[in-house]
Amino acid sequence: MSGPTSEYVTLVSRDGFEFIIPRNVACVSGTIRRMLDPSSKFSEGLTGRCVLDEFPGMVLEKVCEYLCYNDKHKNDINVPDMDIPPELCLELLMAADYLDV
Amino acid sequence: MIDRFQERERGERRERRGKSVSGEAAEAAEQGEIQTDKTNPVAGHSALTDYLASNNISAQQIRTDWDRRQAEALRQATEQEPSVTAEQSQSPPVPTSPEDAVKKRKRQQAIARIKNSKEFARRKARGGYDDDSDDDLAIEIHEEQNRRKPGQFANCEICDKRFTVTPYSKTGPDGGLLCNICSKKQKDDKKKPPAKRRATGIGRRQNQSNLLDGLTPHGTQSLLETCIKKVADYIHDIEDFGDLPPSLLLRLGQILSRRRAVTPRTLDLFLRPQYTSIDLFDCAKLDTNDYHKILASMPRLTRVNLRFTTPMKDQVFHYMMERDMNIKDLHLDGANLVTDDCWRQLFTKLGHRFLSLKLWNLDSAFDNETAKVMCLQCPDLQRLKLKFLHKLDNDMLAEISTLKSLQHLSLRFMRETEIETEPVLQIVASVGSQLRSLSLEEFEFVDDRLLQHLHEHCRLLTKLRLTLNSTFTDKGLAALFTGWSNQALTYVDLHSLRDVDMTNPDGPEEPIGLASDGFIALMEHSGSKVQHLNIASCRHVSYKAFEQVFAENKLYPKLNYLDISFSTVVDDYLIQCILRCCPALQRLVVFACFKIRDVHIPRGLALIGTVGATIKIDGITQTETI
Repeated sequence: MSGPTSEYVTLVSRDGFEFIIPRNVACVSGTIRRMLDPSSKFSEGLTGRCVLDEFPGMVLEKVCEYLCYNDKHKNDINVPDMDIPPELCLELLMAADYLDV
Repeated sequence: MIDRFQERERGERRERRGKSVSGEAAEAAEQGEIQTDKTNPVAGHSALTDYLASNNISAQQIRTDWDRRQAEALRQATEQEPSVTAEQSQSPPVPTSPEDAVKKRKRQQAIARIKNSKEFARRKARGGYDDDSDDDLAIEIHEEQNRRKPGQFANCEICDKRFTVTPYSKTGPDGGLLCNICSKKQKDDKKKPPAKRRATGIGRRQNQSNLLDGLTPHGTQSLLETCIKKVADYIHDIEDFGDLPPSLLLRLGQILSRRRAVTPRTLDLFLRPQYTSIDLFDCAKLDTNDYHKILASMPRLTRVNLRFTTPMKDQVFHYMMERDMNIKDLHLDGANLVTDDCWRQLFTKLGHRFLSLKLWNLDSAFDNETAKVMCLQCPDLQRLKLKFLHKLDNDMLAEISTLKSLQHLSLRFMRETEIETEPVLQIVASVGSQLRSLSLEEFEFVDDRLLQHLHEHCRLLTKLRLTLNSTFTDKGLAALFTGWSNQALTYVDLHSLRDVDMTNPDGPEEPIGLASDGFIALMEHSGSKVQHLNIASCRHVSYKAFEQVFAENKLYPKLNYLDISFSTVVDDYLIQCILRCCPALQRLVVFACFKIRDVHIPRGLALIGTVGATIKIDGITQTETI
């Protein structure tokens, strides 16, 4: 489930939740893509495991949901916006800014 | 901030629970009271009765209500039985009493009203109901409207138990409400039907609106944009933004301004003492005190960018001067109540610090004299933009040439003001060599001599906007771009450079405005770097010129915005040529290019302004109709 060539990558939240999602889905995020780039020789690139200390599991879960939602609808037109619980939206906003999604 | 949000939600929940608890208490009281009455008739009040009395709940009242309800239920049960047998004997059911007839008529009127309502039309469109089920839908809405509201009591449809209605109460099989326990049971057997797709045609306006914002119709929006929109939706529930970076604050400011949601309350969210800039694009709902608040709570401000500032008055400027604020960039739109005297004082006191000054829409103040004071007192100005200042005209133009540090100049006068060529030439001659951007809009009768001066003096220009002019000739424009020692431009806006003689639609022999030669010369000169190009309404550019500019061997690698509206010669073939030569194109504006019928565009391109064309996006076909 890990390594530079694996099809899946693991995202870890501050409170230890792990989310395993396909690599191409995760790489929609510019920040994660740069972390995972094997040529950068970051440890994330070598192990395929990104520890995102900034975000609690709840926020990271929503980010992963968005990444999958984005992948699922990449060929559709007029896609409605993903539903975001209002109490999460500010934290998610900062996460989105950080992760460049 | 989010904690508060959650707290509030929790509070609401608690409240709701509180209500249902008191409901239970009332029920318990009914039973309790009955018991106490039986067992202890003389002992007076129980502790519970006292407690209830102190909360203004009378046990006696509850008791009488209960008795009355019981009696009524009994009466109804006995009444119904004969009517059922009556219905069985006569096949068409007749209303049994005049009261029923009234009720029935009222109900039918209500349903007819619902059928005319917007809600009905909306649901019908969304749900894809056919005509036969109109009645069903109307009845459904009618029942929904008559349903008990949260906080009221109702009898459960299945178990007949009395309970408090909450927002979570489920609907039973016959349209009534269910109690908590039955709701839970019901939930498991009934799964939600999948959401129905929106019927085509409904979203057209929204799609066009999104296209104009540059959003392409396929794929999802970025999470960032989605979140910003959501934050804007809930702006009135947010107490503090926390530590949002300035870039996001700016974007939020833009979206809130667009929704006209900048109010004295939301303003507080943007006031950060440690930040040095404030950008609000719609201040129409703020009052004079709010401007004071901005200046007082952000003492380190160096950049003030406020638009639609109708209530801004002299006092605000006086405050700035008293505090000797370190403002370097002042951008104000519509600060109409500030007097000329005050503007002059401001320039005299703080002008030496100003690096950029942008003013829009002043009609009752700011005359030529004030402009002269400005040019004298703000020697370091690098950026100057004056748009729609009603009292300015030719007299102040020459003064601009005294601003020796000027790098960016943008001017637009009122339509009625006829600007002469000479003072403009003077400006270009004296500051042209250091100008990086120049925008002269609606200088309708300024002639080719300006183009010659630009050719001669400008070296550093990256942005050039010359629009709404009907005097420049094609020859003059071609000469400007041929052998120009200025670097390649990145931003070019030459829209509406054309002849406007209605009696001669093809224009004179010698073309006026940007025509074929000028366009070819422009793309030769700037094609390698140009990112933004607007040649809308330059209607004398020929088919051949387009073909030559977008020929197979040409490449415009940076071009991401192209506006060719009202170039009526453009057809499907030319669009394909354009797309081939401009790989980075994100927005292509083609209003009134009616020959575009059937095009294949790449992903990520917003094609704006087509009418009834078939647009194919990498395998996804969508036909668009008017």
